[in-house]
Amino acid sequence: MLWVMLLAPLVGAFLNGLVLRKAPKLVSHMIAVGAMAIAFAAALSMYLGMMHDGGEPKTYLAFEWLDAGGFHAPFKYIVDRLSGLMMLVVTGIGMLIHIYAGGYMHEETSTYRFFAYLNLFVFMMLQLVMGDNLMVMFVGWEGVGLCSYLLIGYWFHDDKNAAAGMKAFLVNRIGDIGFLLAIFLTYKHFGTVSFTELRTLIGEGTLDAVKMAAVGWITLCLFIGATGKSAQLPLYIWLPDAMAGPTPVSALIHAATMVTAGIYMMTRLNFMFYLAPNTMHVVAVVGGLTAFFAATIAIVQSDIKKVLAYSTVSQLGYMVMACGVGAFDAGVFHLFTHACFKALMFLGAGSVIVAMHHEQDMFKMGGLRKYMPITHFVFLIGVLAIIGMPPFAGFFSKDEILWKAFIGGGPLLWGIGAITAGCTSFYMVRLLCLTFYGEHRGAHGNAHGDAKAHDKGHDKGHSDDHGHGHTPHETGVGMWGPLVVLAAMSATVGFLGVPHVLGGSNIFEEYLRPVILIPEAAKEHWEFLEATYSHSLEMGLMAASVVIMIIASGAAIVLYGRGPKPILTSWKNSCSGIYNTLSNKYFVDEFYFANIVQPVRDMAEFLWAFVDVKVIDGAVNGVGELSRFIAGTVSFKMTGSIHRHAMVMAIGLVCLLSVLVFN
Amino acid sequence: MQLINSHILSFLVFMPLVMAGVVLFAPSVAVARWVAMGAAVVGFLGGLHVWYWFDGSSAALQFVESYEWIPSLGVKYIVGIDGLSLLLVVLTTFLMPLVFLSQWHVEDSRQKVFIALLLALESGMIGALAAMDMVFFYVFWEAMLIPMYFIIGVWGGKRRIYAATKFVLYTVLGSLLMLAAAVLLYFAHFRQTGVYSTSLLDLYSVKLPLSSQMWMFGAFAVAFAIKVPMWPFHTWLPDAHVEAPTAGSVILAGVLLKMGTYGLLRFAIPIFPEAMVAAAPLFIFCGVVGIIYGALTAWVQKDAKKMVAYSSVSHLGFVVIGSFAVMAGGELSVEALTGATYQMINHGISTGALFFLVGVIYERRHTRLLSDFGGLAENMPWFAVMLIVATLSSVGLPGTGGFVGEFLILNGVFQAKPIAAICASLGVLLGAVYMLTLCRKILFGPLDNPENKELKDLNAREFGYLVPLAILAIVMGVFPNAFINKTRPSIEHLAKNYKNYSLDYRMGYDMTDKSAN
Repeated sequence: MLWVMLLAPLVGAFLNGLVLRKAPKLVSHMIAVGAMAIAFAAALSMYLGMMHDGGEPKTYLAFEWLDAGGFHAPFKYIVDRLSGLMMLVVTGIGMLIHIYAGGYMHEETSTYRFFAYLNLFVFMMLQLVMGDNLMVMFVGWEGVGLCSYLLIGYWFHDDKNAAAGMKAFLVNRIGDIGFLLAIFLTYKHFGTVSFTELRTLIGEGTLDAVKMAAVGWITLCLFIGATGKSAQLPLYIWLPDAMAGPTPVSALIHAATMVTAGIYMMTRLNFMFYLAPNTMHVVAVVGGLTAFFAATIAIVQSDIKKVLAYSTVSQLGYMVMACGVGAFDAGVFHLFTHACFKALMFLGAGSVIVAMHHEQDMFKMGGLRKYMPITHFVFLIGVLAIIGMPPFAGFFSKDEILWKAFIGGGPLLWGIGAITAGCTSFYMVRLLCLTFYGEHRGAHGNAHGDAKAHDKGHDKGHSDDHGHGHTPHETGVGMWGPLVVLAAMSATVGFLGVPHVLGGSNIFEEYLRPVILIPEAAKEHWEFLEATYSHSLEMGLMAASVVIMIIASGAAIVLYGRGPKPILTSWKNSCSGIYNTLSNKYFVDEFYFANIVQPVRDMAEFLWAFVDVKVIDGAVNGVGELSRFIAGTVSFKMTGSIHRHAMVMAIGLVCLLSVLVFN
Repeated sequence: MQLINSHILSFLVFMPLVMAGVVLFAPSVAVARWVAMGAAVVGFLGGLHVWYWFDGSSAALQFVESYEWIPSLGVKYIVGIDGLSLLLVVLTTFLMPLVFLSQWHVEDSRQKVFIALLLALESGMIGALAAMDMVFFYVFWEAMLIPMYFIIGVWGGKRRIYAATKFVLYTVLGSLLMLAAAVLLYFAHFRQTGVYSTSLLDLYSVKLPLSSQMWMFGAFAVAFAIKVPMWPFHTWLPDAHVEAPTAGSVILAGVLLKMGTYGLLRFAIPIFPEAMVAAAPLFIFCGVVGIIYGALTAWVQKDAKKMVAYSSVSHLGFVVIGSFAVMAGGELSVEALTGATYQMINHGISTGALFFLVGVIYERRHTRLLSDFGGLAENMPWFAVMLIVATLSSVGLPGTGGFVGEFLILNGVFQAKPIAAICASLGVLLGAVYMLTLCRKILFGPLDNPENKELKDLNAREFGYLVPLAILAIVMGVFPNAFINKTRPSIEHLAKNYKNYSLDYRMGYDMTDKSAN
């Protein structure tokens, strides 16, 4: 079954990408969806089988891959509670998004390419989550980066998209170097890269001081990898640009699955992270700050996808923060709920964008509730889930993280998280209002469509699109169907993690407990996770976060409920400094460009134009000129034959050396 | 079978040379083409034969054929291969048919000569890889220069004379140093044993004081470093590549450069081990500088071919550091050494493919400037697929051969010299910077240049030589053990015993019974 699940998407990618390039769109869509359906069915049956056997981890060897010296890395996979959950998310949500994508992409030419990349992505993502050693994980880790690169640049005619893809790949590669160094260190100190063996060695054994220090460095390097893939400070800059890709890609790769790889990886190796409290501090702080900064940026964005992108960065920050305070289960739980509601919102946004003829500016939308009732309804559920409205999914998972942040990181970390939650409520309700409520502000209904919208969107296949009316309209069932499924999940999956304080039994925490392993040496440091706290404190914090959510949402409704209030413009003008900083994302991109990219480029120019051409090659040519000059002065005629000269020189040298040796 | 195995290497060495002579007297270019292709294919079958019969569980020199030649001077004819040379021999025979296929359509009155030169070059390369006698090695080493000199100097671009002269003079300078040191070594062997011998198997046993080792190692190492080319001896390479015709570039990058790194492993390290240990930090330094420097200079090139040429400087920097990763215990890192030999092959595949691909668009547009292109993925989708596969292998994406080589090298070097490995790993990032820039400028963006709109996608012949390379790049990434297993004993032997190096040998006529191993 594992092999079926792993190979189905690869076969799909192969058929679409290399064999059936001339096939009609419907065929390529069917192949891609079929591959995903097979993979999902296989995943489900494997998952049920595993849980039937008590949820014990099982490993499967495909074949030996790479052996050199003492280094051993087979293509080996692990099915346990953690990877089992991930494979369901990847194949399940992946399948829904594949179904949706058929509708979204139906105006495109060369969709074979799109579906091939998408299937390939799922294959790579499964390598990432199923691998039983760091190497297979790294194959997936870079493989998903490749697919992300290809899909962001899918509309390659616009150089901006190609640039965004390249940026994503390169920024991720910075993180990947951290991952690579972590592999080297792990091999150096533990002689293996297998998760199963590391778990026995580190999680259950005792380590000397050198190895403890090594674990610290390894986890730090791994976390650098995570900041790249999971878009944390300071490497988050690629994710907002990644929105240049088609929206289903944003939903699948840049919200639900790939970007959560860092959280998955840390959870997979939680026994190492528990042993490295210093790294964990860094993780918690980076996560908290990322959550906060990204949320503040999202408040002022006007592009619907950019808001969702920054929201994703922010939510990933939450998950990372959860890992940092040792609450890996809470992080994974939020990963799971977030995958549902963020995929839902991205796909919903995609439907809106299609309906608006590829207009993405929310200030040109409004009133879409009327035209797109189903999309509006499911989007509403998504928003309620993310802002943490009880009892939707986000409420339970986010509150779990905030609670763990409080007991593990203290009031300050909780405060950051709570303020972030407020920002989240504000920008999400703002997005909802600007898009679906108030009057329609779009230019549709005027003469011939909206030339501007065509320019702003990508350039293929739409300018000759006369078949659609000019007013927005609901999408077909192929597109809203998956949304309804995701909405149902967003509304309900939270109940898997109802905390004890609310009378639940937190099934999810129990479910993941066998995966979490706090080594003996670190037990003391993390005992607060198991300690008992007063219920009133937990209830109080929970109530506080609900109040913050309601106030922030209320403010957004007041300001944006019936279209943006005019007062906003005057605020914008009076606080233009803050506004500009936020809308330009704290000028981080500009900072990196001016202080890193440009100097390196200048240096490269210097190395080439001066060092290489003038100094090194100059010296080489200088020697040549010099010998020619000497040859000329002793009137040793250039006969033109290099080899003759060489021969003469060789004989001379040999004679000289012979004399030297025999004396 | 016994007959084949006992002469297969001599056949692979001299058959192309004989066929080169035949080609010269061929009645027409068409006949010449077929003869050359036939010879190359037979050569490749011979390579596969060697691959199949090669005993991967032994570090011994295999398929050995040996005759006395000048007994009074101790000069012998010895050919044989072990795990260090096996993959390179097979790679050479594999590339030749592809090169001839890429030349198939060329209508040029001098084409017969060109084909003959390529065949002669094949003889020189396989000869240098298989020769285990110093004199023969040196003859083949120098003999490789002559065809390449004419290939660049006659069929090259505008500055071909400058480039060809620079290439030859630079290499000859190194060779002469090597020759001088080899002569010294020869006499040193005589003084220690009382026997004259130029056989490498004998020369390995020479024990030299460190001071003279240093000088002789230096001479050998400079010769090989020029060939690699290791920074800062690299400036002949971009000129040679830019001026050389596509076939010349592919062979130059695919095989000729590896003669340098192969020479380091075959000669410089085992003959002068103490000097190597002393010089290792310098080589690691130059290698790391080469990796970063090559990548940065590649990034700012405007000419696609020059960019690929500089990328070679960067990639071969990896091979250099992989060859000099001396561990704390005094052994070489097996991982790094495995990676170095692997990267040699992989670089031949990926860079060979890149030069072919640059040739494809050069033939269509007669320009290689990146700014003249853009958006080719639109009308040349298969070209785009091939270029992206070659790029991915070049940047070392897992699943391609490039990853295996780079990973093993960095991992091994990290165990020996962590700081060097950390610096070198920047090359992983910078490699992606320039290669993705290349892809973006050629393939992506708007297709707005009217001359580019007319370009046709790959034809069947171009598929014919690109697809094998693309498939091999992926096979080498997914099934590296298939290759590493053949070379493992030789590499472990060199890594562990380079200080007291000796090679057993198995005569060719003993190679038939695989079960006896």
